[in-house]
Amino acid sequence: MVLGALLALNIALYIPLVLAALRRRRHRVAASNLADAFSGLELALKEAVPDLPAGFTWEEAVARLRSSGVRTEGMEGALRGYEEYRYGGVPLPDLDFREVVKVANALGGITSGRGTLGR
Amino acid sequence: MEPLAAEIRDKVVDEVGKVVVGREKEIDLLLVCLLARGHVLLEGVPGVSKTLVANAFSKCLGLQFKRVQFTPDILPLDIIGGFVFNLKDREFEFRKGPVFTNILLADEINRAPPKVQSALLESMQELQVTVEGHTEKLPFPFMVIATQNPLEFEGVYPLPEGQLDRFMVKVTFKYPTRDVESSILKRNLSRVDLNDVKTVLTLGELEALVKEVERVNVSDEVLAYLARVAEATRTEGSLVLGASPRAMVQLVHCARAKALLGGRKYVTPDDIKSIASDVLTHRLTIDRAAALKGVSRNPEAILTGILDRVEPPR
Repeated sequence: MVLGALLALNIALYIPLVLAALRRRRHRVAASNLADAFSGLELALKEAVPDLPAGFTWEEAVARLRSSGVRTEGMEGALRGYEEYRYGGVPLPDLDFREVVKVANALGGITSGRGTLGR
Repeated sequence: MEPLAAEIRDKVVDEVGKVVVGREKEIDLLLVCLLARGHVLLEGVPGVSKTLVANAFSKCLGLQFKRVQFTPDILPLDIIGGFVFNLKDREFEFRKGPVFTNILLADEINRAPPKVQSALLESMQELQVTVEGHTEKLPFPFMVIATQNPLEFEGVYPLPEGQLDRFMVKVTFKYPTRDVESSILKRNLSRVDLNDVKTVLTLGELEALVKEVERVNVSDEVLAYLARVAEATRTEGSLVLGASPRAMVQLVHCARAKALLGGRKYVTPDDIKSIASDVLTHRLTIDRAAALKGVSRNPEAILTGILDRVEPPR
């Protein structure tokens, strides 16, 4: 009787914890285009570098990554193309975004349930 | 056009660097301001090469340069000009003052009384001069480079907020670092000759660059970001005076010039953030009550805090 009650209590205590842990599990960033890749990187950055101020720019983020030893050289061309799309009003370029995804995943990916990637 | 603008920037910095050591950032700001059709306030203690930079900058752009030393007894007439009686023709004729130039160095502007300071207002804002109903256009380009010494309190007339707001950027000339100081001393062992500075740009090329700046794209999202920054300066508790709409317009123009000199035809939030302090801090007024309570920091730190808070488009 007592054992049964203790078992029920344990289940009641641990199930929410296990569910919360599953919900918070970090996922690898997957993207189908350049914009998705940078959205994923933005989310990954916010999670991996919590002290990054809300007003951070891409240049500042890249500088921060570089100072932390993350290799960002491979994504610089993609960043330039993405900025041209975001701020220059040109169509989304068909650039290789694998390096961006790689950096996002090097940061640990993103937590599930943080919203969709696309803009 | 983009590589050309970036190339010109490098050439200007190199040419002015022939006579002035360690002032790359200041030269860059002068060029940004010229391309954005603004005016500059240089602040620094005497002997930190403010005048030399202004002079060499004009020379390498092949622009006409005039210097006016502002003193307590100077009159508006001494700057903008006025009507004088021509005995030969027996009529009054307009004699142009030193303001009719491309680059006017208003040396120690805060030594002149407010009447004289305000005489410059119309020329800075409207790019023209009006005396007794007679209006004369100023030449293109026209830029006022005013200097002031931050340490003087006796016999000076601090520029009022309205006048400060007319200056697109304030450039602070700090003391050089030890290494730069050594280079300055070495450079000055032989005579520094302004004739070493070569002209790197024609007037036509400069005009084309200015027009190119006006074509640099600013997306709606970047404009919305600027509006959020402006609002944040106006609601910041430790400031009594935030950024004016004119300040924000000037910030956009500067960011466009900065983008073009960086080889781009669009403005990024980085352009805004990199120049915001130079454009905005001299227009922000700290709440004295907050300052007395030790709450407030300097305007630059407050602005940095605001830019850290306001989320840019990414």
